[in-house]
This record gives sequence, structure tokens and C-alpha cells, in this order.
Amino acid sequence: MILDIIHILVLIGLIATAYLAVKLRDLMACAVMLGIFSFLLSLEFFILQAPDVAIAEAGIGAGLTTAIFVMAIRKTSRWEVEE
Amino acid sequence: MRNILMLIVFLTIISFFMYVAINPGDFNSQTGEHFVFGSPKFTDMDNYFIHNAQNQTGANNVVTSIVFDYRGFDTLGEASVLFTAVLGVGLALRLLRGDKK
Amino acid sequence: MMSKIVRTQANFLYPFILIFGFYIVAHGHLTPGGGFQGGAVIATGIALVIVAYGYDRVKSWIKKSTLTATESIGLLCFILTAFIGLSTSFFYNFLANSGLLFGDKVSYGANPGYLNTAGTLPIMNLAVGVEVLGGLGVILMYMLSYGKEVSK
Repeated sequence: MILDIIHILVLIGLIATAYLAVKLRDLMACAVMLGIFSFLLSLEFFILQAPDVAIAEAGIGAGLTTAIFVMAIRKTSRWEVEE
Repeated sequence: MRNILMLIVFLTIISFFMYVAINPGDFNSQTGEHFVFGSPKFTDMDNYFIHNAQNQTGANNVVTSIVFDYRGFDTLGEASVLFTAVLGVGLALRLLRGDKK
Repeated sequence: MMSKIVRTQANFLYPFILIFGFYIVAHGHLTPGGGFQGGAVIATGIALVIVAYGYDRVKSWIKKSTLTATESIGLLCFILTAFIGLSTSFFYNFLANSGLLFGDKVSYGANPGYLNTAGTLPIMNLAVGVEVLGGLGVILMYMLSYGKEVSK
């Protein structure tokens, strides 16, 4: 029962962070949202009993891609502009 | 109109995922466990790996013994893909920077 | 280069991340994880240092040529270990249950296991871990070395 509640909360958090990553105008906040998305996805993999994939997702998704996004944003513009 | 259509598609996909995640799934009478995404139809290969991997490779982690021993070519391809990705990144960024070295 | 808070916590945190990554690599045949995951975790520790300090400070600590050599050595070790068992087949596990290095037998069923088992799997885990660490580190260093910091 408690596992089901955690499961539903993780899924709702996945949807919310994915929506915010598309909608926000601050690209640094978008990168952080993608990091939180990857972290919740690794939690979801762990709940579904795949710890291998969870470690890979936490290392690459939440760690490396966020670092690369932060580097790229620091070298371009931080705010999304209208075309 | 377009927004309403997208909302309907979005809600359909989300409700499908929610249903699959909450659904207890098929009941396996041998082990007495519920499988969330249904029980697998063909289990010959799984049973072979589960029963023989510890004796043949000596590894307790069956997943690692599959990844590095039974399916070693997969890992070789994955390592080659990473090597090629590093090669591409180095080549592209060095060209963009305009190094003549 | 980021603020002093970020640098202080990076100094405090990166040894633990490195230790955790090497633990995942070394125990790849006993616990969940393996070479690829452990290498990615170690590369995360490198990324923490790289983001906290700028490229100008980091480039004297970590050389790109060293990381490239690390990646190549890892891939070569992986392929060589696969080639040694060629008398039976490619990727043959010639060390398993032989009594030599990593050659102990393991009992059937769920047990915590022992580090000195599994034949060539720990060697391949180490090779792939080193390769992934070098590859992702090189990607991070190239991403960092290109262009100038303009954003505020």
C-alpha cells in the first residue's frame, strides 16, 4: 500500500518535472528540472526492481547530462528568446 | 481545437501508464508473486541462465555474467559506440575551434 | 569558477563519489552495477570538480591526453581479455572455476558471495570502467574547453 502511494507520487512528479522542463523560460531551471526528472526515473526503475538500470540512470542522467547542460548554458545565453 | 485534441491524447497515454503501473498483473502460481507487467510467456532462456550462470561463470550477479560473458559482443559494441562518440565530439569541437595543429 | 560554497562542497564530496564508483566497479560481479555504471559514477565526480572550478584551473590537474590514453588502454584490455580465451571461443571465461586468480567456485543459490570469484568478469569490469571513465571525462573536457563563458 505504501509502495503504491510512493509509486503514484513518483509518476506524478515525472509528469510535473517534464512539463516544467518544457514550459520554463530560464534554461538553468530547465536543466535542473531535467536532473530531477532523471532522478525520479531512476527511483522508478528501482521500484520496478531494476537496480542496474537505476544506477546507470542516476549516474548519467542526473549527474553527467546536467553538468554538460550547465556548461553549455554558461557559454551561451541563459534565457530562452522568442524567434 | 488543437489544444483539446492534444489534451485528450495526453490524458489517454497518462491513464494507460497509470493503469499499467497500478495493475497487479498476472499471478504466478509457482512463486506466488505478482508480476507488474505480466508474466513472461517463454521462460526457457531465463531458467537456463538462472540455474547455470553461477556454476558456469562463478559470478553471483547473473546480470553481469550475462552482460560480460554470455552476451560479450553486446558489451564490445557498446564500448566501441562510446569510443566513436568521443572521437566525434573531439573532432567536431576541434574543427569548430579552428585549431590548425 | 563558481562560488566558494560550491567549491567547498565539491572538495568535501568528490572523494566519496570516487570511492563509491570504484566500489561499484570492483563489486560488479557481486552486487548490482558493473563497469559501465561505475565508470559513469566516477565521471560524475570528475564533472563535479570540473563545474566547480573553471577550465583554466582544471586543465593543469587533468590532462586530456591522459584521459584519452586511459580510454584506449581500457578498450584494449577488454579486447585482449576476450582474445586470450580464443582457444575455445571468443569471450570464453577461461579463469572461472580454475583455482587461479578470481577462480574460486561459488555455491548455488542466493548467498552474499566472495570477491575472488567469477574468472574474467572482474577484469572486464575494471577495463570497461576505466574506458567509460576516460571517455566521459574526455567529452566533459572538450565541452568545457570550447568557447568562452559569456552568460551571467
